[in-house]
Formats: sequence, C-alpha cells, structure tokens
Amino acid sequence: MGDDYSSVWSYRLKWLYTLLLVATLMLPVFYVIYISFNKNGFGAAEYVFTFEWYGEIFSDLLLLGALGNTMILAAITLVVAVPMGLIAAKFYKATQAKLLTVSLLLSPLFVPADILGSALLVFFKNLNIACATVGEWLGVSWFDTWFDLGYFSALVGLIIYTLPYIFVVILITMGRYPEQQTEAARSCGATAWQAFIQIEFPQIRAGVFSACAFAVILTFNEYTRTSLLKGGYDTITTVLISQMLNEGMSEQSYAMSSLISFIAIAVIGTIILYTLFQSDRLEREARAKAEPVMSS
Amino acid sequence: MNEDTNTAVQVIGLSKNYGDVQALRGVDLSIAAGEYFALLGPSGGGKTTLLRLLGGFIRPSAGQILLHGQDVSEQPPNHRPTSMVFQSFALFPHMTVAQNVGYGLRLRKLPGAEIAERVGAMLDLVGLSDLADRMPHALSGGQQQRVQLGRSLVLETDILLLDEPLAALDAKLRKDMCLELKHLQEQVGITFIHVTHNQEEAMTVADSMAIIADGELIETGTPRALYETPRRRFTADFIGENNIFTGRVSAVNDDGVEVDLGYAKLTLNADGQAVTTGDDVAVSIRSELVELLASGTAAGAAHQIMAATYGEAVYLGLATSHVATLPNGEAILARHISRGEAPDALAAGAAVELAWPRSMMRLHLS
Repeated sequence: MGDDYSSVWSYRLKWLYTLLLVATLMLPVFYVIYISFNKNGFGAAEYVFTFEWYGEIFSDLLLLGALGNTMILAAITLVVAVPMGLIAAKFYKATQAKLLTVSLLLSPLFVPADILGSALLVFFKNLNIACATVGEWLGVSWFDTWFDLGYFSALVGLIIYTLPYIFVVILITMGRYPEQQTEAARSCGATAWQAFIQIEFPQIRAGVFSACAFAVILTFNEYTRTSLLKGGYDTITTVLISQMLNEGMSEQSYAMSSLISFIAIAVIGTIILYTLFQSDRLEREARAKAEPVMSS
Repeated sequence: MNEDTNTAVQVIGLSKNYGDVQALRGVDLSIAAGEYFALLGPSGGGKTTLLRLLGGFIRPSAGQILLHGQDVSEQPPNHRPTSMVFQSFALFPHMTVAQNVGYGLRLRKLPGAEIAERVGAMLDLVGLSDLADRMPHALSGGQQQRVQLGRSLVLETDILLLDEPLAALDAKLRKDMCLELKHLQEQVGITFIHVTHNQEEAMTVADSMAIIADGELIETGTPRALYETPRRRFTADFIGENNIFTGRVSAVNDDGVEVDLGYAKLTLNADGQAVTTGDDVAVSIRSELVELLASGTAAGAAHQIMAATYGEAVYLGLATSHVATLPNGEAILARHISRGEAPDALAAGAAVELAWPRSMMRLHLS
C-alpha cells in the first residue's frame, strides 16, 4: 500500500498498469479462444457461437496424434529432467564451486534454440553414420537406427532445454531449507535417504511440483528443437505451425489451442492461488498462535 | 583400544583441514562418562568443528575418535551413540512438537503406544506437555530449544552434543536455561558436551571444560581451575579479567622465580613448572586481586607492590574498574565490588601504588 503520505492514485495507477500489462500479454490467447467458438472460423465477417469445433477435436486424428506425441514427450521429459534438476540443486548446495556449477547448468539457456537444435541434429546424424559404419564393419545391423530422429533425439533436446529452468525453480525453494534439519534428522538415526524423503522433501515439494508443471508447459510450447530433432512434425506446436504456414489453421486447431490454454491457466492458477493462500494461512496461524504464548 | 568404560569420548591426534585452512590441529582429549563438558573458545576457533567431528557430520583429516572405546571415526551420524542439539532452525517445521520429539523413535519402528508414552514422559521432563500439538513456528525461542532437547534425550543415547544451544536466546532466558540444562543433565546422567563462546554459560553448566582457539586445544580443567590457576597465557587472557605482564626470568631460587619486567621485578612461585634463567615468560594476576593503596599505606612482604599512574574509574554496576598506567605505558586494571558512594575520587594523573598477593600470581611459559 506504500506509506501514509503516498497518493492513493499512484497506488491505483500501479494496479492499473499491472492489469493492462497482463491483459496485453493474454489478449492473443483470448482472441484464439474467441475464434474457437465461432462457427465461421478465423476472419469470417459473421460471428456465430458454437461448440462444434470442440466436438471435432476428438475426430481429428492428426491433432489427437499430435496431442498424444506431445504428452508422451512431456511425461518422459518430466520423469527424467525433474530428478536430474533435483540432484543438480542438491549438488549445488553442497559444492564449493557454485559459480562453475551454476554457469554449466544454465549454459543451455544462452544457446539460441535453432543453434542448439541444429547442433544436436548434426550430432545425431553423425552418430547414425558412425553406427552404420561400425555395424557394416561388424556385419550387424541392430544398432543402425538407435540415433535416428524420433522420440529419443527429441527428448535429449527437450531435457537439455528444460533442465536449467527446473534446476532454478527447485533451487529457489531448496535455498530456504536449513541444512541443520537434515543433520538433526541424521542425529535422530535417519539415513541420508530417510532424512531427504521425510524431512527435506515435504518442505521443497512446492518447488518440485512447480518444476514439473514447468517441464510440461515448456515441452508443449517448444517448436524449434522439437521440429529439428523429432522429425515428422507431429507434436502439437509443430502441427499447428506447419498448418499455419501451409494452409492456415483448421477450426479444430483453434479449439485444441484453447483447450490447452484452459488447462495450462487452470493448473498454473491453482498452483499460484494455493501457494498464496497457504502462505497467508500459515502467517495468520503463526500470528494467532504467537500472541497467547508467553516466552519462557 | 581403550577398554575404560568410564571414558565416554576419547579423541587422539584429531585434525580437520579445509583446503589449506587447518580448522583443528592434532587435538587429544578425553571426556569422562556422565560428565557435563563444555568446549569454550572464541568464534572460529574450531570448537564447533570438534563437536561436528564427534557427531559424524564431518570426516576427520587425521586422527581417531573413540566413543565408549569404539572407534567411530568412519561412521555416519546415525550409527553413533550421539544425538545433537543445534543453535536454531533445526526443528522439523511440518511436524508438531510431539511428532518432532517422537521422530527418532518412529525411525526405530517402536510400537505406537510406546512412542506415545515416551514422548509424553519427555515432554513432561522438558516442561512442554501443554504444547504437544503446537507447530514449531508457534513456539518461542526457549520452547523451541526445549523441543530439540526432548527430541535428542528421548533417544537415550549415551552422549548429547549441544552446539551453541543458547546462543539465539536473550540474556535473561539464557541464564535460566543454563541452570535448567545443568539440572537436566544431572537427572538423566548421560554425557553432555556443550559448545559455547560464552564464558559465563560454560562456567555455569560445566563439570569440566576445554579451551579451544585457533584450531588448538589450549587447556582443560574444571571451571575453577581454569579461572584461578590457568597454565596457558591464552587461558588467562580469555577467562576472567587478568592483568598480564611479559618479562624475562632473571633468577630461579628456592623462594621462587624472579621475573624482570624492565620497570619492576616480580617474585612468584613457579608452581612446579620447569623454568630457567633467561626464559621469556608471562605473569598474570586477576584484576579483582589488585588493590589500590592510598599513598603511604604499607603492605606486607607477602604482597607485590607496583607504582602506577591513576587513569580513571569505570562504573560497571556490580563492580568498579580502576584503570591505571604502568611505567611502560600499559594499562593495569583493579576491579572492586561497588559499595555505596565512591571513595574520594582519585585524580587522573595521580601517583598510586598497586598491591596484590604474590601467591596469587601465575607464571605462563606459553
């Protein structure tokens, strides 16, 4: 609220500015949602409200397949990258060489998406050639296709991409965790694993879950690396963008985009509101309880 | 191996290095079972390092740690007969007071009824029965430390390590908790090892104590021995308020040792220490033993007399400290209990004589 002497109008202006900023950022999303309910689709002169396109999502095999592929990529990225980020954050807290560790872990953020994607593409192509050559030499063919473009290569790209974000998100909550608690648990007889699961994890859970949400959203969002490394243009973003470039997005695609937006907004909104309410509740409880307790 | 079961802790040649920094250098120490032992020293001196080595939170660079005769140097904390109380932030914030206290018992997979009974008894002992269902954040600092004590004591380990357990509490509460800790230890009868940088705290709780500074074990003894007859110059400087003179031994005879300060000569008993003429030594006398003599007052031969120039009086409440300057320019303190009105104030710059019993001077070879 600012201090007692600041103008109430400057406070209101700050709120207005914040709301305007959010509205500007979200406007395109709302426009897509708006179009998804128009029977006549994008650019039509006449707006007729309908749910029709949402019904047709489930008969559009291209979109459904893309959704499936993206969900598989997102799930595997989450399962692999979140534990990796957790271990990296644990290591960061323990190591003396913090600057080196953080520079290495964040370095993928500073490489442009197309450069990282094409570098990995060249890398996998060469690995393929090497495998084929060695296979020919040995007279076997069973590892010829190991590094063909597909799930594996796309996942490598996505894990490299999401790991820095996951690391940072987990580290923020882990940074507030006092290490004495692990030591206290150990001195109560806990193994290192018990101390982590029973004492540390419950306190960094919010960070880990946010990191999971982050990994999924980043995977859904990713075009460059996925299109270069997956092959086939068969994930949500790659399908939508290639459609748009070639023939313009189908009406169902607007519906699908909107649906994904609804889910993303709901998930993130829930996390934020839950976190806000939780910390508010804890604070109120602490204050309420602190009052009657006499220090002794 | 040490077969003596009366020794709870034996540390042999224990060292800990962090890169080039030697946090602890070749410490030898033994602590009797059932003793309240304090590790006292300035911050960064290595006392917490020693405690953490005993608890198994860091691995020694060299040396051995025997707990009740067993070499535990390579064992993790959960395999040692120790438990630890930390300075702060060590309660599990997502568990109630009772759950915190019962945590170690649940790890041991004891039956629920037994856990509840032992937790209840422990909460009684530390005076927290009414707060069993509180969360840690709703407790005061003193209550939080009691929960920590309960959580450690309920495990009935042989040795309790306390790392500056009262440092986060205010002065009044710290005093009360000191006595409480002492009585608690007498009740449960296990070995307490208490790290502190607070002299009064150490002297209140400890049966015996060690001074640790600069990675080295300086001296061990009972609080009274370390206060009244410290062997090392550092101890004299660190504990109590001592006047320390440096000089050279000019004679050794049956009467004792004569130390030449340059502006005066001191004669004192070497207390069995091997000393030869020409040694550089230090001599200390506690400030409360130094008397300000009105000019012309004669003191007996049992007293050391020294001329000085009066400086000022500093009123400290219980005591008043008189500051005078020696002929070599160093300050000397005479501390007396403040009683009633101040005596006729001495003027700054006045010539005074200071006197103290020769038998109370201590000779320090190092």
